[in-house]
Amino acid sequence: MYSRSFAHIILAIILVIWVVPFIALITTSFRSEVASKTSGFWTAFTPTELGHRFSTHDKGQKVKITEMRGNIFDRINKDEEWFKISGEINSIMFKGRVPDPEKPGKTKLIRKLVPVGEVMNVRDGEFVFQANGDFTWSFPEEVAPKPKNLDVFINQDPVFGAEAYFEVLLDNKDVPNALISSFIVVVPATIIPITVAAFAAYAFSWMQFPGRDWLFILVVSLMVVPTQLAFLPILQGFNGLASWATSLKQWMTDCEVTNTCQFPTKSFAGLWLTHTGFGLPLAIFLLRNYIVGLPRELLESAKIDGANHMQIFVKVVVPLSVPALASFSIFQFLWIWNDLLVAMFVGPSATDDIVFPILLERQLGTFGDQLHLLNASAVISMIVPVIVFLAMQKYFIRGLLAGSVKGG
Amino acid sequence: MRSIQSVIFSNSLAIVLTIICVLPITAVFIFSLTAPVDDAFAKFGLWLHNSYGWSVSTFVTELRFAKIGFALRSVVIALFISFLYYWISNWLNFGLAKVRSNKSIAKRSVVIETIQPWIFVGPALVLLLLFLLIPALTTLKISFTEPGGGASLNNYAFLWDSDALGYLQFRLAMRNSLMWLILVPSLCIIFGLLIAVLADSVSWGVVAKTFIFVPLAISFVGAAVIWRNIFAGGGIEPQQAINGATPSYQIGLLKALLGHTPEYNEPLYNLKFWGNFYLMWIMVWIKTGFAMVIFSAALRGVPQETVEAAIIDGANPRQLFFRVKLPQIFSTVVVVWTYLVTDVLKVFDIPYALSANDDDKLLLATMMEAAMNTWSIGGNNVDNLFAAIAIMLMLTVIPHMIFLGWRIRREQKQLGH
Repeated sequence: MYSRSFAHIILAIILVIWVVPFIALITTSFRSEVASKTSGFWTAFTPTELGHRFSTHDKGQKVKITEMRGNIFDRINKDEEWFKISGEINSIMFKGRVPDPEKPGKTKLIRKLVPVGEVMNVRDGEFVFQANGDFTWSFPEEVAPKPKNLDVFINQDPVFGAEAYFEVLLDNKDVPNALISSFIVVVPATIIPITVAAFAAYAFSWMQFPGRDWLFILVVSLMVVPTQLAFLPILQGFNGLASWATSLKQWMTDCEVTNTCQFPTKSFAGLWLTHTGFGLPLAIFLLRNYIVGLPRELLESAKIDGANHMQIFVKVVVPLSVPALASFSIFQFLWIWNDLLVAMFVGPSATDDIVFPILLERQLGTFGDQLHLLNASAVISMIVPVIVFLAMQKYFIRGLLAGSVKGG
Repeated sequence: MRSIQSVIFSNSLAIVLTIICVLPITAVFIFSLTAPVDDAFAKFGLWLHNSYGWSVSTFVTELRFAKIGFALRSVVIALFISFLYYWISNWLNFGLAKVRSNKSIAKRSVVIETIQPWIFVGPALVLLLLFLLIPALTTLKISFTEPGGGASLNNYAFLWDSDALGYLQFRLAMRNSLMWLILVPSLCIIFGLLIAVLADSVSWGVVAKTFIFVPLAISFVGAAVIWRNIFAGGGIEPQQAINGATPSYQIGLLKALLGHTPEYNEPLYNLKFWGNFYLMWIMVWIKTGFAMVIFSAALRGVPQETVEAAIIDGANPRQLFFRVKLPQIFSTVVVVWTYLVTDVLKVFDIPYALSANDDDKLLLATMMEAAMNTWSIGGNNVDNLFAAIAIMLMLTVIPHMIFLGWRIRREQKQLGH
């Protein structure tokens, strides 16, 4: 009994450690800019003291008055679409000059927090406010006061809104562009290696040709080569190809007039091919292990019926290999969607064409001040892989196990 | 009469040449033919823009829709070309064999059967050659070449010469890489085993395992963003203390839990030396799910008789795990360990995203990037130094390659018995 409850507690602690970061991410993405950069995400669920700035009234009001009444919450929420602030006013930070007790006749600049109900001198008027936000500002004679900006501390009720998502998806053009770029990269870079690897895996398991086993060992051993080793020559190769294509275009078309001769060294097509090359060893290994285990009688009876290898492959092997194809495709999909390194070295570098991980890496710098946007953008980048992952969990696990538990 | 070898040779040559000529020309042709698709998409976007009154400028909408159009057609063309290869080469193989050896059906089928495997494996071999094997060997060559040409060991000077560029960085990178190599796989394995065992003994284990599994789907950069919320320092603009009262400006959970005062503003992962451990933890958080899944499956594969026998002999749960189950899944633990070591050696994104390649947080993989972009490391010898560091990275993998190969051989021998 003792050990059973012990298990519950330990597992619960581990689970909390694993889940809290997700809660932090999602909570921060649904908070306002001010809240997310000035207070921790865990304060979002309880009333928390936060600072806000409001102006007493709109500019250009010329009517002379002796008393002005208003509400601080109305002023703060005036232009706020998403995060309507409510709660209780704690204090207002007063910044201004008061008579200096040490030097008679002079004033000094002070900052202090003025609590609810205390009279505060603002532009020679008496400013008093209540916890519910009502304020009165009265003057000894009729004046047309200029608006005054005041910093107020509010014990604020929890408020959430999807503003960050709308801002990131609609107002900022980087995130939609990165989503499109990521899809441009991920679809061919998943389908091409699967196609190529499936053909190769079939040949390695069911066709006879000289050097078959040695080639297979070579292919599998390439699995451990760190991809960093290949970047520089690949880049040089693409560079040469691009300049060759550029001169070809110069020679064949009148592109010099419009200045469109230049072929970029880093392109989507280059990224597809590089990802294909890097993904092939694992793909061939996984698919060959599966295809070699298909029942021999089935393939032989197809052959006796007069089918050639192409027909056997398309009509028999591919339909039977769907689980293995699915499990590799999810590996490759996740790997490419989440890849930063290859995309950075080989992928297009124009701001409109960068893939999501690169954008996110840049936003870690540029959105250091706008944590709600950073987190929203991270959530958007994760939605696609997490959905794919959870939907195809079964195949993913099968692929993992194929490489390790079953003697591989 | 032609010998069968020459027929095979000329047929394969014809197929290769046709492919080399036909595929790129088809691709370029279709590409320029479908160019109006982009404009059509841009017009469609403009129409949507006007009918729904979108807030972005029309220029952005047009560009974005043109890009979607470009994306769709290039994806379709790329896939079409790769399928076209198999179709054309297969068709040519049959067609040419028929034309060239129409007299004997046996000869025809020999020709077809000899060429066909190479049509199937050809693209894979060519891609691997062009994108892995040749580049890796070229990198090896570059690393031993002087900037002006000529062989030399100077690119590796950071190994022994304390005046060489990258001397200090290489030492820090090695120190950090070693710490990562030891700590991350061990922690992943310990947590993975612990969770796999505990989750089997409680009713809500499946839910717990799913949550611990999910980080595997997330990018390292995404994980860095996630953990930034936990490890971050105080607020961006720390508020001055007013009347002695300072509202909390702590935005990092861990710092708040540790009771750091708001003035102390540095994120935890920026700490000198100790910051490395926070970066490692992010990797552990991602990869533990991998170890857990495999260990769960392996533990389920432990024969029930051995467990029951141990229980009858009076083994307590701890003995049951350490004496009975763990020895039986030990080979799986070793496999997971080698996988994790290879993953850790390649890790780049986490330190790159969070530490901006600070010397103190360098790993071999990030040092390569740093050599490319920082003069103090790369100097004017960038490419060669880049290659040299890549080779050092490769060298650290080799022991694992040998170990893995030895293990696979041993297992195959055991299967052979």
